[in-house]
Amino acid sequence: MRRRPGIGGLQNAAAARDQFRALGDNVAKLRTDLMKEQLSTFRSQLEDFARKHKNDIRKNPAFRSQFHEMCAKVGVDPLASNKGFWAELLGIGDFYYELGVQIVDICLATRPLNGGLINLEELCKLLRQRRKTAREAVSEDDCLRAISKLKVLGSGFEVISVGKRKLVRSVPTELNKDHNEILELAQVQGFVTVEEVERRLTWSPGRAIDALDSLLDEGLAMIDDGHQDSKRRYWFPCVSSISSYVGTDTL
Amino acid sequence: MQKLGDFKLPQFFNYPPYFTLQPVRETRDKQVQLWKEMILDYCRTQKIYVIGLEEDFPLFTNHVIERSLSHEARQAFLSALVSDGRAEWMDKSHRKCLILWHRVQDWADLILHFVKENGLEDSVMTVEEIRSGIESRGTELHGMDRTVLMRALKLLEHKGKLAIFKGTSADDEGVKFSV
Repeated sequence: MRRRPGIGGLQNAAAARDQFRALGDNVAKLRTDLMKEQLSTFRSQLEDFARKHKNDIRKNPAFRSQFHEMCAKVGVDPLASNKGFWAELLGIGDFYYELGVQIVDICLATRPLNGGLINLEELCKLLRQRRKTAREAVSEDDCLRAISKLKVLGSGFEVISVGKRKLVRSVPTELNKDHNEILELAQVQGFVTVEEVERRLTWSPGRAIDALDSLLDEGLAMIDDGHQDSKRRYWFPCVSSISSYVGTDTL
Repeated sequence: MQKLGDFKLPQFFNYPPYFTLQPVRETRDKQVQLWKEMILDYCRTQKIYVIGLEEDFPLFTNHVIERSLSHEARQAFLSALVSDGRAEWMDKSHRKCLILWHRVQDWADLILHFVKENGLEDSVMTVEEIRSGIESRGTELHGMDRTVLMRALKLLEHKGKLAIFKGTSADDEGVKFSV
């Protein structure tokens, strides 16, 4: 459009701007509409996919995990409600609900042994043992999803990372940084001594004992005075497999 | 799973802290419970009736992890069994403990059952025959500890189910059933 001088030119420019703006709005609306349409197409394709592969999703943990990722990308949460399309089609809400209940049971049962902290691997192992007769296999990913649903209920369940491991916490006990560092240290041998904590973390003796004793009081540590060298050892059931050392038939 | 003879040892037995009496209440309670169950199970399967605290009872030591229960710990676990009515101290100094993996009442019931099964309702038998006679073979009464047997018989006598009397020789106590 050619610029014309004078009032006429100004009016034209204004008109041109308005037209551009209108076009811009249209384009924006078009884009949104297009996106909405794409999203809705994608959603229905996802639904078709879910319908077709219902069994695989149910039976195969790896497949299930990837399916969840796909859903997340489109903003679909199959677990958002226990009713509606997804729940009815896949019955997947029930699966995670059931898992959640079993996880709570296991955490409660092992609490006297590990103080309410259990490592994820251990939890999954116990879960699988319990579900031996169930059709659906369970992965760590499934456990994490079930636990995140539990969190929504405000039940104090949380997954924390200590070193390379993931621990599931089922008590309101807050672990401070000192506690975390001790737990990480304990992962190596399953236990620590006061001396070791002082040395490796360069702490004062008071600090080490305080932290260890508070972990003991919370039921997260157990003492062992039976070694030949007479040094007291603090063992941490949550970093080893002790939780499954109880008669698992009681679970 | 580790075994002691043909007894499957529970896994906690291999976790060193369980050999030290835990100071924290909840942890200690769980520890005591696990030990009580294991001791009872072991005695039941191995038919052990008496535990001597200062003797080499196999469960008190785990050579693999090099841990051994202190005298205090042994006392604590066995006292817990006594409180549960599943054991009795045989002496004031608590050196020997009678383990009732069947309660005295249970043994009494087993004896009554044995009597009925063998048509001995009005019979006479020696105490020794009850635990080593031909009829006892294949039953739980076979080889049972004499002290426990006498306790069960006395309970039944108290209930009027039998009468205990002395026989001709010192070893020969007898029982007249009136079931």
